[in-house]
Amino acid sequence: MHLIGTELEEFCVQAYHAGEFEEVTKESVLGHWSVFFFYPADFTFVCPTELGDLADFYEDFKAAGCEIYSVSEDTHFVHKAWADASETIRRISYPMLADPAGKLARFFGVLVEEEGQALRGTFILNPEGKIRAYEVHDMGIGRNAEELLRKVQAAQYVEEHGDQVCPAKWKPGEDTLMPSLDLVGLL
Amino acid sequence: MIDLKEISSECPLLNDKLCQDIGGIIKKLQKPVTIKAVLDTEQDKSMEMASFLKRFCEIPAGASVNLELYSIKELSEGPEAETLAAGLKLNTQYLPVTGLYADGEFSGVSFHGIPGGKEINAFILAVYNLAGPGQELSDGTKRKIQKLKRPVNVKICVSLGCHHCSGLVTACQRIAMLNPLIEAEMIDANLYPDLVEKYQIKRVPFMIVNDRDTFTGPRSIEDLVVLFKNSR
Repeated sequence: MHLIGTELEEFCVQAYHAGEFEEVTKESVLGHWSVFFFYPADFTFVCPTELGDLADFYEDFKAAGCEIYSVSEDTHFVHKAWADASETIRRISYPMLADPAGKLARFFGVLVEEEGQALRGTFILNPEGKIRAYEVHDMGIGRNAEELLRKVQAAQYVEEHGDQVCPAKWKPGEDTLMPSLDLVGLL
Repeated sequence: MIDLKEISSECPLLNDKLCQDIGGIIKKLQKPVTIKAVLDTEQDKSMEMASFLKRFCEIPAGASVNLELYSIKELSEGPEAETLAAGLKLNTQYLPVTGLYADGEFSGVSFHGIPGGKEINAFILAVYNLAGPGQELSDGTKRKIQKLKRPVNVKICVSLGCHHCSGLVTACQRIAMLNPLIEAEMIDANLYPDLVEKYQIKRVPFMIVNDRDTFTGPRSIEDLVVLFKNSR
């Protein structure tokens, strides 16, 4: 079963956001594009690298009209403690959601119940709260914020224009493609 | 003019089976068509295009298909250069460029790069629409096209593997053939990184109207007529 097109269910979680605690609900994430970025736990090694990478591209996501929500199964108090302890985490200015009850992780299908941690799942939601793209990595496999930004922009483009275009991957110096004659129904 | 004897008609892109299939279409041509191309003789893609065109013109057709090849040097040097360039009416900024001519006139249709991949369909249909019976088009649409009063230059940037591109090229070029004020240039954007950079082309088909307004995605002839009518 896939999740494409699935609409976010009602939720209410605490978040650590730019030095403050705040509540984030389904309503908070409607009306703009969103990325839910799950990671296993605060105070781990790969996570700050990924979250720092996202922080580096945060302005680009904002320019694209997309909010980032990082999510782990820690509490918002732990997020704050991590930010206090880590320079990388301190410069994060997107909301860090706390999902200790596992509600969000279960909804997105990334909760490893026996460990109480989330897999590295990334979900791109449109302004109606519907999932348009996602990827799920095993614990140790990191993700790339630049590639995520490209996916968000591609999802936005398709939402606006439909899928009647081909993404161009320019390869200068490439051999000319063999002709593919197909005029059935055109003559 | 380049002596065609100097050009090899060995062209891996046009194998015997493909030539046979193309022959089935161009045997329906009803009037002569002339293909004129401007090449940079020191550039591999230009010489590949020369062989492609030579081989194409050797395929038996219902009417004569003539070929004239020119080097960009001829168009930029010498006493006849200016007259020659003016007669060809081709945009030589992106080479190789190939134009189609019938009844002694430029059709407004040109191709930059080699029409391989899916673009072979646009190339064959351009020849078929210019000199053959042509694809069906309603009289009402033809009248709307002929009524367009403003000059329009449209560049359709494509990639050769794009499923949606050749249809847009054909639609634009069909309009160009029916109205002398319209020019439609297919551009294999992969060959021209400066163009890709200038317009930040990330998806195709990508259409540039009058070197100013840009549009992405396919459109019907009817939609294009409205777009061209409202163009600046």
